[in-house]
Amino acid sequence: MALWEKRRSTLVLAGLVLFHVVLISVQVPQGAEKSAFERVVFFVYSPVQRLAAGTVRGVVSLWRGYFDLRGVRKENETLKRENFFLHQDVRFLKDRLGLYRSEAELQAILKDFRGTVLPARVIGIDSVNPHQAIVIDKGRLDGVAKDMAVCDMTGALVGRTIGPVSLKDAMVQLITDKDSSVGVVSAVDRLTGSLAGRSGPTCELRYVLASVTGGQVGEELLTTGTDRIYPAGIRVGRISSIEPNESSPIFRRIFVEPYFRFNTLDVVAVLAGAPGGGK
Amino acid sequence: MRESVAKDVLRAFLGTLAAVLVYSVAGASGPRLLIVFNAFSVVVLFFSVRRGEVFGALLGTLCGLAQDTFSIGVFGVAGLTKTLLGFWTGYISRRIDVAPFARNALFMLIMSVLEMILWVLITAIVRLETVSWHGGLILLQPVVTALVAGLLIVVERRVAARRSRGA
Repeated sequence: MALWEKRRSTLVLAGLVLFHVVLISVQVPQGAEKSAFERVVFFVYSPVQRLAAGTVRGVVSLWRGYFDLRGVRKENETLKRENFFLHQDVRFLKDRLGLYRSEAELQAILKDFRGTVLPARVIGIDSVNPHQAIVIDKGRLDGVAKDMAVCDMTGALVGRTIGPVSLKDAMVQLITDKDSSVGVVSAVDRLTGSLAGRSGPTCELRYVLASVTGGQVGEELLTTGTDRIYPAGIRVGRISSIEPNESSPIFRRIFVEPYFRFNTLDVVAVLAGAPGGGK
Repeated sequence: MRESVAKDVLRAFLGTLAAVLVYSVAGASGPRLLIVFNAFSVVVLFFSVRRGEVFGALLGTLCGLAQDTFSIGVFGVAGLTKTLLGFWTGYISRRIDVAPFARNALFMLIMSVLEMILWVLITAIVRLETVSWHGGLILLQPVVTALVAGLLIVVERRVAARRSRGA
């Protein structure tokens, strides 16, 4: 007791430092799996985040809805025009799809797809690096589970759900995170590889052999579905540059600009089927 | 004695909630704000100067773990760095005069820079990787964090002074 009175500060610091060292050490054998303690902390703090994000959104919406009405008419015209062209696109694509599949097959595909898309709001961003993860306002109660693909409003791939998934919130690992990996194929030259993030605004297409020809700047990349997390055919991004790989000459160094934009990442779509997008 | 520890724990928890609130508002306003400004460090710096090293260390632990929860990184790295930040900020501020704004801001800046160096080192050791610098933008983080924390202390002191004059 006398030692506690005398060296209180030092003992508290030593205890807390020891606690953290143990906490960090126990995660090494666990790998990416989240500990129960981390899940509890997430469960406690995520409602606060939801409240804050909701308040900010409310204020912004109030401002945009009532005070900042300048340009609404012009914006409305632009949206009407875009809507018209989108309807045309959908009709055209349906017709094209009908050429390859029977009506019954087409209806079965569409039926499978309906109801599996879950809209969610982004309520938080990774506290250390915004390019790593986001938090969404849908959780286990809404049918969200680990390893579900997440897309933005235009259908471009954003990432996948990871733990911890709480009752009403979930964390999404972005494709720009450096530990993320997505199986992709280029739309024209069919270059296949693994898309890895760089914890920055761009990604890198890895494991494309230097001997493989094809692939050009501007070419679109789509998911292959081979990783059993992301369904095949989702738009991911465009090749922004191709360079020789100096550190590993047997591969090419291909940089990719993802389609999703941070500043417009307000609402996302969770593909809430089984992992991989299936039912 | 037991009552004062319980009160401190409660205050630290409320301080952490405030940090989560500030971080969430900053994140919702613009993702880039989270690179140039660390809400959790601001709360730790502010309360450590006011309430000393033990409270600072406790608050640092809670705020750091909250920051770790909202990140993919290793759980506990921010907890460790913020515990040390809170402890040393509280400890040093009791031994030197950091009342004037310029001195206070400089002190906060030094502590923020030390926290960042420690965080980079621990991340390099634990995850065997270098930190993403966001085109140098992250170097602004200690400056903005120190400035905000310093300003908060000035505002709090002025409010307290006005209140005591009124009473």
